Amino acid sequence: MSRTSFFSSINEIRNAGQYQRSRLKMGILFTLPAVIILLAVLAYPIISSFILSFQDVRLAAGGIVTEFVGLDNYMRIFQDAAFRNAFNNSIYFTFVEVIAVTILSLGLALLLNHPIGRPAIYRVILLIPWALAPVANAVLWKWIYNANYGVLNAIVVGLGLSETGVVWLGSPFLALNMILIADVWKAIPFITLLLLAGLQNIPRHLYKAALMDGATTWQQFVHVTLPGLRTTLIISIVLQSIWALKVFDLVFVLTKGGPADGTVLLNFLSWRVTFNYLNIGYGAAIADVLFVLMLLLALAYIRALRPRTSARK
Amino acid sequence: MNRKTRKYLSRRDFLKLGAAGAGTLAASNLIMWLSGCTQGGAGEQVTLNVLTPAAPDPAPPGVAEFSMDAFAQWQEDNNAKVVYESPPWPQLHDKMATNFASGQHVHDCMYNCGWVPEFSEQLVPFVDDLPQELMDDLPASSFSTVTWNGERLGVIFTLSLLTLFYNTEHLAEAGITAPPKTWDELKGFAEEMTKDGRYGWVLNYGAPEGIGGVTSYWMVFLQQAGGTMWDDAGMPAFNTSAGVDALQFMIDLMPFTDPGSISYVGINDATNVFTAGQASMMMNWPFMWVPAQDPETSKIVGKVDTAVLPAGSAGTASIDGTDAYTIAKTSPEPELTKKLIEFYLDKEVQKRQVIDTGWLPIRLSVLNDPEVQAAATNAKAVLEQANAPYDSFVTPDYNEVTDTMGREIQKALQGTVSAADTMATCEQLVTDIVKQRTG
Repeated sequence: MSRTSFFSSINEIRNAGQYQRSRLKMGILFTLPAVIILLAVLAYPIISSFILSFQDVRLAAGGIVTEFVGLDNYMRIFQDAAFRNAFNNSIYFTFVEVIAVTILSLGLALLLNHPIGRPAIYRVILLIPWALAPVANAVLWKWIYNANYGVLNAIVVGLGLSETGVVWLGSPFLALNMILIADVWKAIPFITLLLLAGLQNIPRHLYKAALMDGATTWQQFVHVTLPGLRTTLIISIVLQSIWALKVFDLVFVLTKGGPADGTVLLNFLSWRVTFNYLNIGYGAAIADVLFVLMLLLALAYIRALRPRTSARK
Repeated sequence: MNRKTRKYLSRRDFLKLGAAGAGTLAASNLIMWLSGCTQGGAGEQVTLNVLTPAAPDPAPPGVAEFSMDAFAQWQEDNNAKVVYESPPWPQLHDKMATNFASGQHVHDCMYNCGWVPEFSEQLVPFVDDLPQELMDDLPASSFSTVTWNGERLGVIFTLSLLTLFYNTEHLAEAGITAPPKTWDELKGFAEEMTKDGRYGWVLNYGAPEGIGGVTSYWMVFLQQAGGTMWDDAGMPAFNTSAGVDALQFMIDLMPFTDPGSISYVGINDATNVFTAGQASMMMNWPFMWVPAQDPETSKIVGKVDTAVLPAGSAGTASIDGTDAYTIAKTSPEPELTKKLIEFYLDKEVQKRQVIDTGWLPIRLSVLNDPEVQAAATNAKAVLEQANAPYDSFVTPDYNEVTDTMGREIQKALQGTVSAADTMATCEQLVTDIVKQRTG
């Protein structure tokens, strides 16, 4: 809503008659319980976390003791090698996951939009990874990747690609990428459905017109499909970035951040510092850095959702 | 205008009915809550909330299947109801930390494992009030890991030391007639038994922190090499030849160690490999004896034995599992909770604990019981191991110290950093941690 229309709405309310004011009051009353719950469940923890991040918080008899330390926790972040490592891992993880999920999901959406892909059974099969609980998904992949009993090594050894199999979670970079694969597998269904909805919103006559103009399939994809999917793609990228940044369950179940911190991501680091080390203030600071990153992405998402204003005549 | 008789429920009536129903539900809940609040008076049943790990980790009657009748009788005799919360072992520390941070009463009795110094300010020093007959029957050394600042804050309930488990069939195939007694023998045997897709050694090096993490395993070798973690001032004292030798030995074993070991985050992962016959030796807790003899979970039934850990330059050594029961300061029933812990340590309950679950008793009289020794043939090795050092070096920042060191040790095990450099790095990191706590 633009500033002009916001103030004009306020004026409208002021100038409205008793009936309109009464309606407004009832509207506020009906939405108040939901707003209160949102404030309690969202706003209160977020604000508390920010307050904690400016304190040194320790367990003591009867609860916690706090001491205001200003920006010390945030200054420590810049000096902490573990934070830098987790930050780099998170950026790499997010970047690669977004690209992989977007490309794979777009391909699947195009297939599902094709007449051959229309039967509902394909959509049902597609949804299976998405329907799995996150921890169940992590346990499933833990067994797939097991060095001794995992089905992945059974395939690799069976195909003669390796004599003894691979320790998929045994080296830092490989483990990080295997976690990436597990998360991409789970993320694809939702983004596919999002893109499929976007594809189905592209007017068919544009393709017919392009065909009549002699456009090839690839040219139709580049000049009709992609522009038509622009908003959906932006939304998909932003949403997937947010979800990739906050991955925790796969790291916790598969590797606990190892080996040698190779799979520590920001969310996991925040948990470890807060609950393992009981350094609650510093853990809150790390969590708040992650929160700010995701907030920026959320603002981008909201902006992408905004309907375009029509050109002035 | 004639009104038609309404045969349907209007939206207004539906909303009215819904509001009435919700109001009734809320009122009844309020009444139930209020009646729950007004406890008191003689004869009122008391609820004790107990936090324990889920089986097969060490768990009391009611969580693990043993002494169920005695447990029911105890509750009846004491007009108490014991309610368990039994999450998987890895979740216990976080749960306790969160509960303590809230300042609220959540649990009366908690299982603790190496965290007593960390949570010392939240625990009741009840041990000195235990009956003398019980105290005389407990090893004095068992209190070392549950004592902080001179206060005894918990009581160990199972003798749980790491010992060597080995596959007798694999040793026999290699012409070896006795388990390794020294580091050199351990390495030599592991090398000889690494063949045909099997490995001589397996362990879970994937988890860095806590009792049963890679750092705690290094502490075993540290003590075997004659080293120690802390000096008298509480500062790191492990960056010595003993510390380096201990890590170097672990590195030297890696070519004969199941490659998946670096990725196994839990002892059960490594145990599964051993009981599948894919590895020949490992160190493990006494609990492993029972599943290793179970044909449903083990392929090496009758082919496994246990012995004291091989000796380094200073002899054999181990670490204590430090499985203890503690009482929260927020408990409104500390006396009854103490009685419950006494029940868990009752001779007959301790006997059933070992016979039915495999977790050895802590009471010396029960350990020496012929029936127990017949049922738990591995007890002999554990008792022998207990004659050697088994310090777990627990401090209030045990989790952070072991986590920090564990990451560096993992790098050394992967061959990216030398043992000497790793010990130097660990010394610096641990010093910073200790200084942050002590100021």
